[in-house]
Amino acid sequence: MIVEVLAILLGTAFLMLALNKFPKIAGTIAFFVSLLPFLAVLSWAGQMGINIPSYLNLLHFESMATYNLGAGSLLLEITPLGWFFLLLLASLFPMVMLYSVSFVRENAGGFYAAMLMTMLGTFGIILAKDMLTFFLFWEIMSWSIFALVLRGHDRRAIVSYLAFGSMSAMLILFGFMILYYDTDTLLFAHMHLAPTRLNLVALSMIVAGFAVKGALMPMHVWAPHAYSKSEEPFVAFLSGGLSKLGYFGMMLFMYSVAGMGLLASWGTFRDVSWFGYSLAVVGAFTAFAGTILAVMQDDLRKLLAYSSIGQLGYIAIGMGIGTPLAITGALFQALNHTFFKAVLFLAAGAVYYRTGKWKISELGGLGYRMPFTFLASLFAIFALAGIPITSGFAAKWLLYEAAIEKKFLFVTPIMLIAGVGAFLYAYKILYGVFLGEPRYDVKEAPLGQLVAMWILVLPLVIFLVFPGWVADMAAPILKEYGMQAIPHTPFVITTSLGVYNTLAVIFGIIGTLLLALVLYKWKPQEVVPHEDNYLAGEPPELYENISMHAAYKYYEPFEEVFLPYFRSGAEKLWEVVLYAGEILGTGARKIYTGMVEDYTMYILLFFIILIGWWLLW
Amino acid sequence: MTLNHDDWGKVARMMSKRSLWMVHFCTGCGAMEMPPVMTSRYDMERFGMHAMATPRQADVFLVTGYLAVKTLKRVVQVYEQMRDPKYVIGFGSCTINGGMYWDSYNTIKDLSKYIPVDVYIAGCMPRPEAIIDSFLKLMDMIDKGEAIGWKKYHKYYDQYKKNQRMAYAYRLDEVEDIKEDDAK
Amino acid sequence: MVDFFALGEQILVMAFLVTLGYAIGMFFNGFARKITARIHNRVGPPIYQGYIDVFKLFGKKTNISHGWIFDLAALFSIAGITLVFLFLPVAGFSMLSTDGDLFLILYLLAIPALGFALGAGASGNPNAAVGIMRALMTMLAYELPLVMVIVAMMVHYNTTSLAGIVAAQSNMHWAIFLPVFLIGAIVADMALQGMLMEKPFDIPIAPHEIATGPMVEFGGKHLGALMLYKMMGIVVETTLFVDLFLGGGVILSVAQYGWLAYVVNFLVWFGLITFVFFLALLINAVFPRFRIEQALKFYWKYDALVALLILIWIFVEVST
Repeated sequence: MIVEVLAILLGTAFLMLALNKFPKIAGTIAFFVSLLPFLAVLSWAGQMGINIPSYLNLLHFESMATYNLGAGSLLLEITPLGWFFLLLLASLFPMVMLYSVSFVRENAGGFYAAMLMTMLGTFGIILAKDMLTFFLFWEIMSWSIFALVLRGHDRRAIVSYLAFGSMSAMLILFGFMILYYDTDTLLFAHMHLAPTRLNLVALSMIVAGFAVKGALMPMHVWAPHAYSKSEEPFVAFLSGGLSKLGYFGMMLFMYSVAGMGLLASWGTFRDVSWFGYSLAVVGAFTAFAGTILAVMQDDLRKLLAYSSIGQLGYIAIGMGIGTPLAITGALFQALNHTFFKAVLFLAAGAVYYRTGKWKISELGGLGYRMPFTFLASLFAIFALAGIPITSGFAAKWLLYEAAIEKKFLFVTPIMLIAGVGAFLYAYKILYGVFLGEPRYDVKEAPLGQLVAMWILVLPLVIFLVFPGWVADMAAPILKEYGMQAIPHTPFVITTSLGVYNTLAVIFGIIGTLLLALVLYKWKPQEVVPHEDNYLAGEPPELYENISMHAAYKYYEPFEEVFLPYFRSGAEKLWEVVLYAGEILGTGARKIYTGMVEDYTMYILLFFIILIGWWLLW
Repeated sequence: MTLNHDDWGKVARMMSKRSLWMVHFCTGCGAMEMPPVMTSRYDMERFGMHAMATPRQADVFLVTGYLAVKTLKRVVQVYEQMRDPKYVIGFGSCTINGGMYWDSYNTIKDLSKYIPVDVYIAGCMPRPEAIIDSFLKLMDMIDKGEAIGWKKYHKYYDQYKKNQRMAYAYRLDEVEDIKEDDAK
Repeated sequence: MVDFFALGEQILVMAFLVTLGYAIGMFFNGFARKITARIHNRVGPPIYQGYIDVFKLFGKKTNISHGWIFDLAALFSIAGITLVFLFLPVAGFSMLSTDGDLFLILYLLAIPALGFALGAGASGNPNAAVGIMRALMTMLAYELPLVMVIVAMMVHYNTTSLAGIVAAQSNMHWAIFLPVFLIGAIVADMALQGMLMEKPFDIPIAPHEIATGPMVEFGGKHLGALMLYKMMGIVVETTLFVDLFLGGGVILSVAQYGWLAYVVNFLVWFGLITFVFFLALLINAVFPRFRIEQALKFYWKYDALVALLILIWIFVEVST
């Protein structure tokens, strides 16, 4: 059954190339095909212990099997962890396609073909049962992304994605090889890793490789360029969806393949393995530095890219801590990030579609012109900042609770201050783009784009009301790792330290808003035009090019304070690595002197060492 | 006993007289007398008065001295940005009859032609005691419902606008235009 | 089945406490002006000035708005701050504080702030935008030492619930009596100064530079709503401080003394928040204003350094 889905995706990708001249038709077909993975996810819900109405279960995928393709075999299987991540990606994908129908014009067939191929790769990665299948589909996904990054025509983005993508692939492949050498099996289920140093190196390499896709610092260098120079629907899927695959991989290898016991065997600190602890520290650093860098950006896409990096850091923290609370929090954060970041990138795309501007300081006042885009992105921003009127808060709260539970005294303040920093760049987006002086007389975004954005807002509302549902989805995953699910009802999540009752918050906010509304509607009011502002004089009508929009260098004092510390960023670090490699390479080349006697000498030396080693052993 | 609309008005007036927030237009020399009024020597905060930064927040508008035609434009703008009920206090003889600038070509002579003035303070310049006295007078007027400058501005809006435009006009043909408009 | 009688009773008590909170907030406004005036050797306004001002603002005849986004400011700021108040244990009495914890309160505090910022931004006045930038940066500045102290307290008391922290301090085991949290209280008091936007951290308002910053376009009922927000904000922030370090003002146990305990605890709580606010006023009355980067450096260099010592102290305490 599942091979048919993969074949349809592949076939449609080829069809798209043929329909290159008809972007609308290609887009519509791609949209309907892109619903397939979502239907597949729904039909597996029953296996995960989640009951859905039968009319949603259209495909009836009950069980998985092995598929023999010629000489080799393709081993696919659905696991609870895979199902959760597939749910995120498969529900984001159709909306991105719907958005693309009105957004992508140039060479649309190529775009849809590559997008469908990324989904194909995603499908395979998540369902893979062995390392070979995993790596095969990982490469399909990576190279389809490369094809999409190429469409941005930005040399820096292309080169950095290529360099880091290959580095990631190499790290993962080497890790896989070491694991295969150790266990003699490719199947995840049959791997029983021994607590050796070699396996630690292999796991670290694999996690570092996945960290590239997950944009963890210092492996994030490609992300701001690739995120900011490609088409928005793709970026929304890349940042919101595909970056999760890095965390899926980390989770798969850290907890499903290696397991808690193995991680703990390399040393623990307050019951948290050092391995996980270092991941959490890297995650916290990423969250903090990503946030600070996001505040300093003027390009809307760059800002969103750095904010994405910062928010993904939180997932790494949760995965590092590795308690049931933390893993639930990480999954919840992954869920939220998928939707709010996709909405924000899509809204940025809608703004660009109407105004043709990316710079925040050149935009302004679109809130009254594009109210629905504004409200959708306002909601997404609330989720991003973790304001408790969206589901964004519950995820952050779980992570904070997990950190305090494990007494992370120095990591928790960094997480919290990164959360405060998020308010800064969130307001920069709001003010710079949607508030302030109206400078463009534009229409609202096209209907298709609006529908896509608003459907993606829905999960943020649903999981505000039912945060327990995420805990329900996390329960089978935790059970697989031999952990108890966190105590919860649909509305209340309880931990050993505190309680989060979403009903109290919801009814509280409704009640207080009503109170405020009564107070507020007491007196009538009149709406004045925007020009009627107190400016200690009058607005400079005489000078048309003087803007009253204060968004240029909005956080200048902030930049003055922080820029000196962030000037030599990660790119400098990689330059040092490059330089070291160059020196090493030049040094190594000197061995080849071109003299036969030297080479004879080397061979002699080699045998002497070999014999000496043999004798001493 | 029931409270009718008028009684509410009385309460509102009582409150608003004890909480006069002012914005002062300090291009004139009378502004020099404001610091002593605000600070510990005379302390106008005793009466709940408070200097505010913007006209949106203010109730009382202090015009502290002479007004050039150019500044009049800004004075009118500030006055129109204030919310009802609003009151105006004219400082010194300059606002009453032009004072020492009585024959200047570019200052206005009588402020009440352009915006309604509730209380004038005579003197060049008025002493802080006189300013405090004017505040008390204004409060008394508010209490009695006599400070109705803002109502007058709504009622005779066209007349005020015409006067303002006449003041802004600096060529004879512009004045002719305004008269023509008025005749229509 | 929901017990509607108990629910109704709870809602009534909440309504009463919220009214009381606003009343205290308005009292604090007059109190602050009176104290500042006395320090300046002035007479100052009557102590009930806050009530008059709010009534006057809501009684203005005409009000202006800059559109529906502008209106959100008043709604969100009033609703948000009231909600925060509901989630705080007040004098040991918990309204909703058993349904959420300190992290929730920290994030709920952002609702009124962001709502207010939304309205200020929508007015399109550049002064407002600059003011909001300063407000957010001040927030970033003071939050670092504050969250460091709060995290230290959470780990020490092994709970994230504010009600739990208050309960742990019952029987006069106030946090401030521990040497480490005495230092913590001083650090947090500095942060409180920024939270209350009193001098030297009144950078966001700065009436003489940017015309009261975010509030520049607000008048009439909009300004009235913002004043209510600010007044309630004082009550909320000082109560947060009192709950954290001064045991929430609980000196009599309710189980032992019944309703008498509520009354006494309320009075003690009121006295303590007045005292904490009074301290802030004393600093406010005599200091000039920092520039924004100076405030950031003050909090992140000196205040956070002391907070780091507290974290290390607690780290050692937990490890042994």
